[in-house]
Formats: sequence, structure tokens, C-alpha cells
Amino acid sequence: MNNAVTIKKQKKPKAVKDNFESSSNFKAWLYLSPALILLIIFSFYPLINTFRMAFLNGYNGLAIVGGEKFTIGIENFKTVINYVDFKLCLKNTLLLCVVTVPISTTLALLIAVALNSIKPLQKFLQTVFFLPYVTNSIAIGMVFNAMFTRVGLGDLIQTQGIINNIIGIFGIEPINFVNVGSSWGANMFVVCTYIIWNAIPFKILVLLGGLQNVNKQYYEAAKIDGTSKIRTFFRITIPLVSPMLAYVIITSFIGGFKEYSSIVGIFGDGMGPGSNGQMNTLVGYVYNMLPKSNSGNASAASLILFGIILIVTAINGYVSKKKVHY
Amino acid sequence: MRIILQNLTKTFPSRNKKSNEEVVAVKDLDFEIPDGKLIGLLGPSGCGKSTTLYMICGLQKPTSGRIFFGDNDVTSLEPEHRGVGLVFQNYALYPHLTVKQNILFPLQNLKGADKLTKEEMLDRAQKAADLVQIGELMDRKPSELSGGQQQRVAIARALVKTPRVLLLDEPLSNLDARLRLQTREEIKRIQRETKVTTVFVTHDQEEAMSISDMIVVMKEGVVQQIGQPQNVYDDPDNLFVAQFLGTPPINTFDGVVAGGTLFIGDDAVLDVPASVPDGPVSVGIRPEGFIPDENGRFSGKLVNIEVMGRDCSVVFTNDSSRKPNVRAIVDSDIQIIRGADNTVRFDLKKNKVFIFNAETGERIRFDDSDKSVRV
Amino acid sequence: MAEFNNAVKEVNVESVKASQRTSKIIRYTITYLFLGIMAIIVIFPFYWMIISSFKTMDEYRANVPTLWPQNFVFENFTTAFSKANLLDLFKHTLYVGLVSTVLSLIVTILSAFAFARLNFKGKNLVFGLLMATMMVPGELYTITNYLTVSGRLPFISEPVEAFDITNTFAVLIFPMLVSVFYIYLLRQTFMQIPNELYLAAKVDGTSDFKYLWKVMLPLSVSTIITITILKMMGAWNAYIWPRLVANDAAHQLITNGLRGASFTDEFGETNYPAQMAAVTIVSIPLFLVFVFLRKYIMRGVSRSGIKG
Repeated sequence: MNNAVTIKKQKKPKAVKDNFESSSNFKAWLYLSPALILLIIFSFYPLINTFRMAFLNGYNGLAIVGGEKFTIGIENFKTVINYVDFKLCLKNTLLLCVVTVPISTTLALLIAVALNSIKPLQKFLQTVFFLPYVTNSIAIGMVFNAMFTRVGLGDLIQTQGIINNIIGIFGIEPINFVNVGSSWGANMFVVCTYIIWNAIPFKILVLLGGLQNVNKQYYEAAKIDGTSKIRTFFRITIPLVSPMLAYVIITSFIGGFKEYSSIVGIFGDGMGPGSNGQMNTLVGYVYNMLPKSNSGNASAASLILFGIILIVTAINGYVSKKKVHY
Repeated sequence: MRIILQNLTKTFPSRNKKSNEEVVAVKDLDFEIPDGKLIGLLGPSGCGKSTTLYMICGLQKPTSGRIFFGDNDVTSLEPEHRGVGLVFQNYALYPHLTVKQNILFPLQNLKGADKLTKEEMLDRAQKAADLVQIGELMDRKPSELSGGQQQRVAIARALVKTPRVLLLDEPLSNLDARLRLQTREEIKRIQRETKVTTVFVTHDQEEAMSISDMIVVMKEGVVQQIGQPQNVYDDPDNLFVAQFLGTPPINTFDGVVAGGTLFIGDDAVLDVPASVPDGPVSVGIRPEGFIPDENGRFSGKLVNIEVMGRDCSVVFTNDSSRKPNVRAIVDSDIQIIRGADNTVRFDLKKNKVFIFNAETGERIRFDDSDKSVRV
Repeated sequence: MAEFNNAVKEVNVESVKASQRTSKIIRYTITYLFLGIMAIIVIFPFYWMIISSFKTMDEYRANVPTLWPQNFVFENFTTAFSKANLLDLFKHTLYVGLVSTVLSLIVTILSAFAFARLNFKGKNLVFGLLMATMMVPGELYTITNYLTVSGRLPFISEPVEAFDITNTFAVLIFPMLVSVFYIYLLRQTFMQIPNELYLAAKVDGTSDFKYLWKVMLPLSVSTIITITILKMMGAWNAYIWPRLVANDAAHQLITNGLRGASFTDEFGETNYPAQMAAVTIVSIPLFLVFVFLRKYIMRGVSRSGIKG
């Protein structure tokens, strides 16, 4: 081996690399093989298969039943789109994205800017705000359920739940947030609250990192020029952290479209008060289809989800190209 | 606008958490900057010159002492109320804004009675840009400009709001050698045209000497000397100032004064008045203070002669020199006569020889008459 | 250029100073007030979870809520353990977590090494394909994987019993074993190790494997730790896949067990304190990871945008 290296080296300087290349071609594939085999079975094949199943009309997960062949077509997509449940899921998903992304991003930005502007208690508060970062979304969803739930029925209600108790201080009548018979709006409020609460730490982390990387001299320059705090925020801070803002917004939109386990945490896998499914989402819809052997419909639904995510990412990318400054 | 610094002191908490000692960045600064002049704050890094600049603009607050702009005490005033323009070392141009937007930025902050119309703003921005000769680059982003152009934009942004004082932090340090020369002339020109009191910070003595009306030499937070560049060069107050100014640097020697004569080694090089006390001293001789003379009183062993066109530089050794080599700059027409063992001899120009207290480094002035030599 | 010459009017220093000070005080008050309120909102669910777990049923159900338990009851925790069968769930989760972490590390290290250090034909193509899969939402895979592990293979009309691996630990481990993100993360770390080290080792006759083991891994410890933590947390927080394929008592993981457990007592009422105790127990390991290993998680997650 050593010999070979030196001999080849005399011919041309690049020889060292070439020599390794020839011997490592086989070795490289050997090293990659465990990962590739698993990926082929559990990622690449499913990807292709999902498309196949989505375009086989009425496909149920088995190739042929009783000699009957599935025809190719877009029946699955039609079925999915015309399904009442799907419309509800789409509405829920879109709404919770549209509500939670702007609110949680704005709050996170305000908190990050505030954190960045103080000295005493900064480290402590930073830790507090990162606390919900590493949580089990099912487990904490159950806590949110407990906070919003009331115990007992009708006249026998024993506690309205801590949140109702708190809003009661401001003179608001108790609301049935999550119990059986609660309204869609009330449920949506709880879900959005939880998602916002859950999303803020990651955003603060990214935005604070961005803010701390901004050269202090921009602020000093602005200060010398007598720039007001508000103008500094909008004209300097936001443009300079716009790459992080774009990143946070894209990831939270994608996360929002894939929302499922937060709702399971609050309502259980019935996806609604009394398992009525009124809070179901696109991902929830896909998973509901599966055990019912509706693979064709599930595949079509998941492709629709994928399509929406691609579109949202593309729009985000287009907007940030125009708005993100460098 | 005249600026008066009165007993200005700035201390920082020690970086070492265990010791409670404070780091004194600037100590007891006390001087006046006359109106409409270009002043260079000069010193090695860490001497407190930048801290001084930051206190003048208000980004740092002095621990004690006062700052006056004219008759106004501005010590505790926030920067925005001081009417200063600051050009940062790395320019701090907003990367997301164009040149025009950068220059307009300070004007858009004006409120109330000072508020300008859009046309007025654009007009002033254009004037400021023209002043620094970047009028045609208005729509570029800072990243599309060269270092020198960014520098000009930064100056335009600082000037556009008609500051009472223009402050420049190491304005030339980020430029390459060629641009540096050009830009320093430019700064001088701009200052002359606007007549705004300008303070700039630099560690490069040549830079400071070449454009300042007045220089302030600092060391370890303490002002060493203040004056016109040539005066400070010709008449340094102490060894540090003498060493810090001049290229090539001053030659330093261990000397002894005995009975009205200055000895360097065994050579009795100079007669001094009896007022100079006997004893060991530090001696500084400017490179241009040597006159080759085969009968001269100062001797050394020749190492090398470097011809640099008009001048030539005679490099020789002397046992009392504090550095391995002594360097003399002489007219290249003059014939250097080598004696036995490569010995060269010089006479000294009296006004280029400075005697300092061997311990404190304070100047021991011995001939008042040479003050008249000054330009 | 006279317009640049000191046209500034004088300011009333005293009044400016006073307004400076008040605006500063107001600003700081608002900032701290805002942060304080937000901090309380962020903390409150944790606080409510913990104090509720120490309350008696009666106190929890009291019409007027108490913000501090009147007397601390630890019995909720024992109830939680028995009702949710937490001990078994812990064991299952730990087993799945450990095995999948170890296997995943092996697979990840080998692939990352190949991508970072070896030259082979098609390297860029394969790497690009892998990266592309990061864009695809997992739901797309889940549908087919669910069919695959339950023995419903393509072009075969009947489910194949022999391939049905639902309700085993294997089904919880293998489909999720390879993470392209971890391969990417480790490859980046490997690439930061100077190439000269590798060439020097080659000249000395060191085998690739020995070089990987003796040089690259020791220099990449922090990334390995990051991957380990994320993988373990993955097992701890996994819900969707386990619910589909292995939700029986013998294989159930902690999150499924927690969500599926019935805390309803004999009168049909939910025992919230016991439920909160169970949630607290499940949250404690995550809390400890957060306190002690936060920097490793943040290293990985802030690059991926995937929540732990």
C-alpha cells in the first residue's frame, strides 16, 4: 500500500487521491449499505408506492382482490376532496396555521427583543422561556386539557377549571372549553393557545440568536442619529433578523400543517370533545384512513398535504426572496 | 463647536471576577478642542483613545469629570441630543439599505420643527453624497461598494444631519495602503470645506501627523502631550512621545551628563548648559539629526547604507544604543567616509537631540533657543 | 458648504436630561412587566401540573382553586404507576430507545464517514437523494410502511403472515432507524476534521476503520451525544407510529400508555391529580435533559427546525 502510493505519486501529484478512490469505491458502498437498505425499504419504496396507491382508484392496500384489478385514475382524490370530514380537517388545519403562526412569531420576536435589551435577570428569564422547548406534546396537552376542563355535569359542576376561574376574575362567565358539548370555536381557542405556547421557545431561541449576532454598532449608529426605539425596531432590527424570521415562519407553517399530536394530547385520538372529531386535522385524517384499509384515499390525502406544504414553502421562499434583505 | 473635557476619567470593572480592581481606561483627561479644527487622538492600542471618542459622542458615560460642547454641559446627555456624527471603524452601514437610504436615515429621524420635507431630505442627502464624491453610487447596497466608498458613505451619513462635531474611529484602518493615503487627504478636504470640529482616533502616527491641526498623544489612559503635530515632533515632552512620533523612529541611547557635557559611551557628543544636572540620562536622536563628518564627535560602526533616492539611510551600531542598530537619514549626495574598522563619525544637530530623565522619561530641556527653530 | 457648518440650535440640557430619565424608567418597567407576565404564562402549565399532582381529589375539585396544596398527597404517584402501568411502559421505552440509539449510531456513523471521507462514483447523487427526503413529510412514508409491516406487500393479494411484524419491538425500531438528518449532522462534523489527518493516517498505513474509530469519533463526541439525546427523546415522545403498529400491552411505549391510560375511578370520574402525577413523571426525564444537556439539543434542533 505504502509502496503503491509513492510510486504513483511520482507520476502525478493527484495520484494519492486516485489510489484511495479505486480501493474505496466498494468500501464506501459497504459502509452505506445498512442505511441505504433501510432507506430503500422504509423511505424510497413508500414514496413511490404512495403515488401508486393514490392513483389506483379505490385501492385498499392489497394488490388484487378476487382477480379484480384497480384502474388508474384520480378517483381517490375526488373522494377525499368531496368527503365532509376532509373539508373540516382542511379548515381546521388552515385556520390553526393562520392563527398560530403570526401570533407565536410576533410574541416570540417581542420576547426575544425584550430579552436582548435587558441585563439583570436575562439568563434566568432565558431559561424560563426555553422551558417548554423540550416537552412531550401529548403529556403537556393533557395538562392543558386539565386546565381548561370542568369537573362534573350541569348543576353538579364542582370546578370550572383553573382557566375559567382566572377569567372569572375579570367577570367573564365560565366557558365550556373542552368538555362534551363544547363548541368548535372554544376547542379551536384551546388548541391554538397550546400550539402557540408550545411553539414560542424554539422561535425565541432562533430569533434571540439572530439578534445577538447583530453588530452592536448598527444600534450605536442609530442611537447617535437619534433614531427612536420604534423606528430602530422596524427599520434596523427586523430587516437584520429577517433571515431568521423567514426560517421560523416557514418551519412553523410546515409544523402547523402537520399538526396532530397537540390535539391528541388535549382531546385524545377522538380528535374532539367526546371523540366527535371536530378538531381533526389533515394528518389526523390520513391516520384515520389507515386502519380502515383506505390506503388509496389516505395516500391521496397525504399527497394533498404534501402539495399544500410545497406550495406554502414556495410562497414563503418567494416572499422572503423579496423581503429578506441578505 | 468648542469641546472641553474636564478631568474626564473612565474606569471599567475588572474582567477578572475575583479581583475587585478596576481597569482605568482614561484618567483625568483635561483639554480643550478648539472650534473648527481637525484633531487626532493618537496612541498605541489600549491607550484609551477610543474610549475618549465614545465619551465625547455619548455612547459611554464618564465615571467622573465633565464634557462641555461650547457652554453646554453634555456629560449626561444621550448621544442623540448631542448633535454628533460618528463614523465607525468598520463603517456600520446598514447592509439592507441602499447608499441613499443610509444617508437619508438620520434625516428621517428628525421630529417636530426640525422635520424636513421629502425634497429637502433628498437635496441634503445628494449634497452630502456629492461632498464625499459618491453622488453617482446612491442606489447601490453597501456590499456592492469598495472599502473606500463605504468609508465615504459613512462620512456622508455622519455629515448629512449637520453635526456640531464629527467623530471618526480609526477611519483608515480598514483600507489598503494606497487608499489610505488618498482617503486621508479626502478627510482633510472635507473637514476644511465643512469647517466642522472633527476628532479622529488613530494608532498610526504618520496618519495623525499628516492631517491633524492638533494631536493628542495618549498612553495608558493619560494624555502625554497636546499640540500641533510639528511642535510635538520637534519638542516632545517625554521619551514615549519622542519614540511614538516619527518614521523611522527616534534612536535612543543610554547617556551620561557630566560637567556640562553629554556623553554617549566614551564620546562627548554635545555641550549642554550647566542647568542640566549631572547623572545618567536617556538620549533620543532623530535619524535626521546626524551630520556625517569624519571629525564628528559621535562614532559608530557601519553596518549598511541603504540608498532611497533623495536620501540614504546609514545603519550603524553603537554600544550605548538601546536597539541593535542606529539609523541615520542623510542626504544621498554626502559622501560617507569610513574609518578604520568601518568606523563612521557624525556631528549632531542640537535641536534633534533630546535628553530625558533616565527614570521618569521626562524631558530635560536644555536649550530654549532652539524653540525658535520651530516652524 | 456652509450648510454643514454648525447649524444646530442649542438644546435645553436640563429638560432633555429629565425626559431622558423618565423615558428610560418607563421603558424598563414595560420591558420587565411584559417579560414577567409572559414568563408566568409560560411556566403556569408546569406549575399547575406539579401542584395538581400533590392535591387530593377533593381539593382539586374545589370550587375555589388553590394555588398551593393544603396538604401534600404522594398517593397520586403510586396510583399513577398502577393505573397507567408506568413501570412497564418505562421498560419498553428504555429498551426501544437504547436499542434504536445504538443501531442508529452505527448506521449513521458508517454512512457519514462514507459521505465525508470516501470518494466513490455516485456519491453526490446518493447524497442529494438523501437530502431530498428531508423535504418530504413523514406521513407520506407512514401509509406504505404501515402496510409493509403488517405483511401487506405489493402485488400479493393476501397479507403475508410471516412478514407481519406488528406488535413487536422490531417494528418500533427498524422503520425509524435511519435519519437522514443525523447523517447530515455527523457528516458536517466529520468534514470539519482536516483532510491532512486522514492522508497522514493513510500514509502510516492506518485502515479506514481504525481511523474512524481512533480519530474521527473522539473528535465528534458532542455531535454523537446530540444524536443520542435526540434519538432517546424520540422514543420517549413517539406517539403516532407506535399507536398504529404496536399498541398492545406488551410493547406499548410511554406516551401511548399515558394517553391511553384510564384515570377514571369507579364513579366514572377522572382522577385528575393521578393523571397529573403521571404526566409529571413522564415530564421529569425531559426536564432533566433540558437542565443538564440543553446545549446538545439546541445544537441539533436549531439547525433542523424539528422540535425535540
